[in-house]
Amino acid sequence: MNELNINIEKGTSLTQDAFIRLRKNKMAMIGLCILIFFIAIALLTPLIAPYTYEGQNLELGATSPSQQHWLGTDVLGRDQLTRIMYGSRVSLMVGFIATAVALLIGVLWGATAGFLGGRVDAIMMRIVDALYALPFTIFIILLTVIFGSSMLLLFLAIGAVEWLTMARIVRGQVLTIKRQEFVEAAITMGLSPWQIITRHLIPNVLGPIIVYTTLTIPSVILLESFLSFLGLGIQPPQSSWGSLISGGTETMEEYPWLLVFPGLALSLTLFSLNFLGDGLRDALDPRASKD
Amino acid sequence: MKHFLRILLMFISVIALSDCKKHKTLVELGNEQQILHVGNGDEISTVDPQSTSGMPEYHVILSLYEGLVSKNPQTLEIVPAVAESWEVSDDGMVYTFHIRDSAKWSNGEKLVANDFVQSWLRGLMPALGNEYASSYFVIKNGQNIYEKKVGVEEFGAKVLDQQTLQVTLIAPTPYFLQLLDHHSMYPVHIPTIKKFGALDERGTRWTRPENFVNNGPFILSEWTPNKYLSVKKNPNYWDAKNVHLNEIRYYPIQKSSTEERMFRSGQLHATYYLPRDKLAVYKKTKDPALRSYANYATYFYRFNNRIKPLDDVRVRKALAYSIDRNKIVEYVTKFGQIPAYSLTPPDTHGYVAQAKMPFNISLAQKLLAEAGYPNGVGFPELKITFNTSDEHQNIAVAVQQMWKQNLGINVVLENTEWKVFLDKEKQMDYQIDRASWVGDYLDPNTFLEMFITDNGNNRTGFSNSHYDALLAKAALESYKEKRMAYFQEAEKILVDSVPILPFYTYNWNRLVSPSVQGWYDNLMDYYPFKNVYLIP
Amino acid sequence: MYLFILKRILQSIPVLLGVSLLTFIMVRSAPGGPFDQDRNVPPEVIKHLNEHYHLNDPLWKQYLDYLWSLLHGDFGPSFKFQSHTVNDLIAAGFPPTMELAFYATLFALIFGLIAGITASLKPNSLQDYVPMSTAMIGICMPSFVLGPLLLLIFGIWLQWLPVAGWGQIDGDKILPSVTLGAAYAAYIARISRGGMLEILSQDYIRTARAKGLSTARIVFVHALRGGITPVISFLGPAIAGLLAGSFVVETIFQIPGLGRFYVQAAFNRDYTMIMGCTIFFAFLIVIFNLLADVLLVLLNPKLRQEVSGGR
Repeated sequence: MNELNINIEKGTSLTQDAFIRLRKNKMAMIGLCILIFFIAIALLTPLIAPYTYEGQNLELGATSPSQQHWLGTDVLGRDQLTRIMYGSRVSLMVGFIATAVALLIGVLWGATAGFLGGRVDAIMMRIVDALYALPFTIFIILLTVIFGSSMLLLFLAIGAVEWLTMARIVRGQVLTIKRQEFVEAAITMGLSPWQIITRHLIPNVLGPIIVYTTLTIPSVILLESFLSFLGLGIQPPQSSWGSLISGGTETMEEYPWLLVFPGLALSLTLFSLNFLGDGLRDALDPRASKD
Repeated sequence: MKHFLRILLMFISVIALSDCKKHKTLVELGNEQQILHVGNGDEISTVDPQSTSGMPEYHVILSLYEGLVSKNPQTLEIVPAVAESWEVSDDGMVYTFHIRDSAKWSNGEKLVANDFVQSWLRGLMPALGNEYASSYFVIKNGQNIYEKKVGVEEFGAKVLDQQTLQVTLIAPTPYFLQLLDHHSMYPVHIPTIKKFGALDERGTRWTRPENFVNNGPFILSEWTPNKYLSVKKNPNYWDAKNVHLNEIRYYPIQKSSTEERMFRSGQLHATYYLPRDKLAVYKKTKDPALRSYANYATYFYRFNNRIKPLDDVRVRKALAYSIDRNKIVEYVTKFGQIPAYSLTPPDTHGYVAQAKMPFNISLAQKLLAEAGYPNGVGFPELKITFNTSDEHQNIAVAVQQMWKQNLGINVVLENTEWKVFLDKEKQMDYQIDRASWVGDYLDPNTFLEMFITDNGNNRTGFSNSHYDALLAKAALESYKEKRMAYFQEAEKILVDSVPILPFYTYNWNRLVSPSVQGWYDNLMDYYPFKNVYLIP
Repeated sequence: MYLFILKRILQSIPVLLGVSLLTFIMVRSAPGGPFDQDRNVPPEVIKHLNEHYHLNDPLWKQYLDYLWSLLHGDFGPSFKFQSHTVNDLIAAGFPPTMELAFYATLFALIFGLIAGITASLKPNSLQDYVPMSTAMIGICMPSFVLGPLLLLIFGIWLQWLPVAGWGQIDGDKILPSVTLGAAYAAYIARISRGGMLEILSQDYIRTARAKGLSTARIVFVHALRGGITPVISFLGPAIAGLLAGSFVVETIFQIPGLGRFYVQAAFNRDYTMIMGCTIFFAFLIVIFNLLADVLLVLLNPKLRQEVSGGR
């Protein structure tokens, strides 16, 4: 499939121009603001959280939003605002770190395959194909089952699944850029493949990478929430948005606030990231709007 | 924009219109045709009563098979079934059963004494992998046959004539009749099994609806995995005139929230369970569909008695005495459970454990200080391991908080997937872990024998020779009072050495539509559908 | 063209082998076995069960034996559902899953294309934002939230639609299809919007506009054909993803599909079932990707030449 897409995708680099275009896109800018807001909350949580995330008040139980607890309390009487704030740390961290893992593997893999070409490329991309054909749900379930569910593993497991598309995109880009003159010049100058990949190729495919990264983060966050649904996510008493939501759906008629607020936080973040990603794509290269 | 909205509107109205006409629900249709729709928890692994052990399987098997005796679903007393009467010898060692003349297989063949002997011998074949093979060990030479030490002709179950079966036991087992109503003791149709493979081969096609032969009130009619399993009335059943239902559909629904929604929209007559937070809602509205009753099961934590600091009984006591069970039951689990201070559930055929663990925080603090950890100082960080479930998680979170507040010690929680959890528990690769036990038969023995040294279900490292001796004595004792006294003494040892931390006696909650008649609540959660019927 | 297809099929054989080996290794390194239970199962019983299912053989032999029976189309017996073979279970679970995936794709296509095209006609206006935001709901809400929410509204409150089942009561296929399709509708909306934007900015469309053709005609006759290509290249992998991702929807709506069997199998350590489902799904993914590529080639004359030219 990749071979067929080569001609369609062309690399562009970040320009002033693109930024101006992005600023014109209202949805993307709103998304950016919301995102910055949530990141700020996540960073400041230990300082501004009204309660501790594990502090319970069993007699209180689940109460709807009130003056003491702005977003209500859960069945164990824990303050929900606090839990959502701590949850944002976990969810965003999973989103960013797992994406970073995916980014690292995907970019290096794709760039290497694309640059070296020939048999190495064929083998490397066959490996990607094989992993693509592996149903990822089971892959992650098995990984968490084998190694126990730790945060670090969560990052690695999700990252290990998400790097495939990145590798394909980067490879496609590299293949086109490789034929351009400045790369050929670098080769004749005798730079090592590693240097060429890191200094010339990757910076020049940065645009699509940034776009795709913005779009990977939300799918990673969703994946974490899916794992929480299966009970394989974060360890209690910590919480992630995913674990709060999957708990909240079970009681959405009795205690709707336990679903609505974490759900809102998650949806808003995903909305923001998606619109930001779309905006970036439009701004960087309207013609690359293809997955 | 306009196009978009218009099409969206069209889409919604198509959906709305297509289903506006009110259909009869499955429950309403079922009431008219005597078809019962019931949630059954999980997909069953097989309908072979001798190679399964799960509860969902048990509920289906109850409709398909019948043993020598059965239980009254209201009182749980033993009543005649395939055997119309029986005699017991004075020493309680020899039972003689008279099989009723009208007992038949679903293919019309006569059911005879030899069918039971052959079925049990099949259950004793090691290669079958029958998890309940040990239930035949109370019969003379049962264990020896299993271990291939003697021939099958030495078996304690003998055919006297076609209608008469004599069973000789190795000890007077007061709960033997109850054991007979366990599914491993039900008769299977040997010729059918042989037709589709070896007697001791698992998973041959004899259990498929098109091949299946059985002796219970219903026959297997349709089985689509993960959709439903349907059984229909068996015209050859000896008591068929008292069977009112034409069909039962068992739905394997794992999520209790799905089940509850199906019940509410008239797709199920009865649920298997109830989502935890729904109990309060149904209680508040006094919904007649709500059934809530105590269950013969205990929820507890195991301590790993072999590791420091849990090898010190004072530490275990401190941990156990500082738990406010009332609070957990009332605010955390909220499912009508009864706080438990000993292992066996209360009121089992007259046995109520006298020994009880106290709830006494200052005593707990004192004990912890004596053990060398005043106010929890220097206490290592322990880990509570539990398998994935909201309920286990909430309890663990509450316990974590109680120990922190009452004793000043920190524990961490470990949520593991079920099979990983089992693996850890069996290898005793845990510090504190969650556990529960459901009694197989109404007798304290089913709980207490768990903690005999080296019992496969002990898994705590607890070992007390006096305890083992008491249970051995109880097994040989035929006088009820004396037997119960042995159990009381054993339970006292258990409570004093705290190898486990009991939390509560289970409470079962389910929804049963008021149109279902003849479904009774009881301690064993035993609900045969033989006499159930539906009213509109 | 045939050569291209043949080549791709041959290429997929090592891919499937790799997948099976990787799964085999992972499944076998997971702690706990298929016969472990809460209640103690006597060691002799476990021993006999292991013997029965040949779990005592060396691992490499088990793997080769498995491949050998696979060659004969035999996926082996299920360890958990003893009365069924893996072939039985896949045959029972696949049709509902396929049907669900089909309806979900249909919904995603209709809804996604409408939203995407509407949005592309007037970028960065209300006509862009509203449809795109609506479509976006699907990827901003986990399906285990969307599903119960739809059920609560349409099943319990309005009582319009059944809350569970598949093909048992009229209308029970609507909500699951919408729930599963929602996420993909968003992707399709996004892709088709992008594709359309690109086409609409091209010269021949401008010429068409200058000639005074109506918007509808331009969209449906000229632009759609070009704009839809990226959607097709997305659909191949997406259908495969739908199949594997249907687990949540199948659980919530009580659908007897393969997704449920598959995830259950992983938790049950039903070794043969996990292997069988993985290989089956992997095979499907390969097929759907191939189909998408073939379709692309057929739609795009330029690529057709490249392919027949032997690449």
